[in-house]
Amino acid sequence: MFGISDPQIWISYVLAIVFALACIVYGILNWNSEEESNHGS
Amino acid sequence: MAVDTLTLLIITGIYLIAIIALGVLGYRQTKEHEDFMVAGRKINPIILALSYGATFISTSAIIGFGGVSAYLGMGLVWLTVLNIGLGVLIAFIVFGKKTREIGHRLNAVTFPDLMGKCYDSAFMRNVSAFIIIIGMPLYTAAILIGGARFIETTLYIPYDTALIAFAAIVAVYVIFGGLVAVMYTDALQGAIMFVGMAILLVLTYIYLGGVTEAHTALSSLTYMVPEALAAAGHTGWTSMPTFGSPIWLTLITTLVLGVGIGVLAQPQLVVRFMTVSDNKSLNRAVLVGGPFILMMTGVAFTVGPLTNVFFAKTTGMTAMQACGGNVDLILPMYINAAMPDIFVVIFMLALLAAAMSTLSSLFHTMGTAAGYDLWKGKHGKISVINGIQIGTFVMILASTLLAYIMPGNIIARATAMFMGLCAAAFLPAYAHAMYSKKPSVSAAGASLVTGAVAWFVWTAFVHLKESQALGLSKLITGNDALLPMPWQVVDPIIIALPLSIVALTAVVVYEKTWKKSN
Repeated sequence: MFGISDPQIWISYVLAIVFALACIVYGILNWNSEEESNHGS
Repeated sequence: MAVDTLTLLIITGIYLIAIIALGVLGYRQTKEHEDFMVAGRKINPIILALSYGATFISTSAIIGFGGVSAYLGMGLVWLTVLNIGLGVLIAFIVFGKKTREIGHRLNAVTFPDLMGKCYDSAFMRNVSAFIIIIGMPLYTAAILIGGARFIETTLYIPYDTALIAFAAIVAVYVIFGGLVAVMYTDALQGAIMFVGMAILLVLTYIYLGGVTEAHTALSSLTYMVPEALAAAGHTGWTSMPTFGSPIWLTLITTLVLGVGIGVLAQPQLVVRFMTVSDNKSLNRAVLVGGPFILMMTGVAFTVGPLTNVFFAKTTGMTAMQACGGNVDLILPMYINAAMPDIFVVIFMLALLAAAMSTLSSLFHTMGTAAGYDLWKGKHGKISVINGIQIGTFVMILASTLLAYIMPGNIIARATAMFMGLCAAAFLPAYAHAMYSKKPSVSAAGASLVTGAVAWFVWTAFVHLKESQALGLSKLITGNDALLPMPWQVVDPIIIALPLSIVALTAVVVYEKTWKKSN
């Protein structure tokens, strides 16, 4: 893929981009969400 | 360098004026000690995201780790995966929200303060602060060395002068403007870094004839991997090292896992979660944080290996060989030689910004640990803010002195060491504090001490690169390392973090069993 034949390398690129996109989607979906957690000290 | 020094000095001057202006703004907004420590808990989410990212990503990540990727190859992109997955998604969503809520409720203003209040224990506060003031100067000195070396080679300023001037400028706005100044300047610096890295990526691919062409050219250079490296597991710059080989172990255990996991429990990052007023701000910060980190380490670990194509074309050597074996010189030399003049200036600013943003946060965290957490209540006639300022000044002085003593080629290693120590000592106790209804102080104490001690023992007596440099193992036992290969290249975090988790779990289970039986 894009001149990189080792799947262990191109999978890392795919994951890095997917995680960055997940950050964008999470931020948009929860833009106004103000939930509080209930557990913890 | 091709750019004339006058242009560089003028642009650097404008940048410094902007930094000073933001420092003054921070100074004006800092009235109470809570302003100094957690920026009054009213920071804008975009400023939070840029500040978190700019603190997270130092010259160490770009120059040091970028240089290492030029040496070891694109396998380092796995660190980017962890940087975003753990360093942003898990850090903000799982830990950030709890930290903000609990921090507000308990009125905690530093990481040691948070630990002390969650466990209602002065021991937890003091030991956390102690680990920070012992371990963090090492990382800080590495950032100082990286920044000063870059200023030396770019602006032709003698190294010693560069080091002192660099530390002094950052010291002024941290000491007077507190975390407000630190985060405002971080945000500007983060924006400059984003632009710099974006241009670096685009120009590198244009220079090398396109994305696929550049990668194909890099793949074709596998024959240039030196024999010694190939014997240690290096298989080329677009493939992973041989599984289980010394290079694979260093890449995965020290660089990817050590730094990737270590970021979760770094006090200078944790404190940022307490600077916003609500969880909504943390959600919004995630949106900016993920792409920001991708553009930082993702670009550095892509361009780093690709510099081999450039150096092979122009000098017939690998990047490492062309730079005389010093990984920290690879990216600066590549940029100076391959990039247009105007970009050299932009990238110089981006690196200066990266170094300053991380440095300011470390100064602030060490200063608050020394001047507030350890010295709190003992200030006498000195106000709380002045006590923290004095603590900050002392820690800045100590780190600058350490920077003179520390060996040169150490930026990436010192970063990995600090992150490993943070993860081993703090992560289990921090997670326990955030997610347990009644966190056990004995369990947390056992975990913190076990993690820190195990990290130190493995660093000083087994992990060869550090044990050799420290000399403690040789002095006591006559050997550089107590265990044979492959243990000598297994990072301390791989041993110390599980032990720290085991210590915490064992005490929690013991206490529950003991309570039931009584």
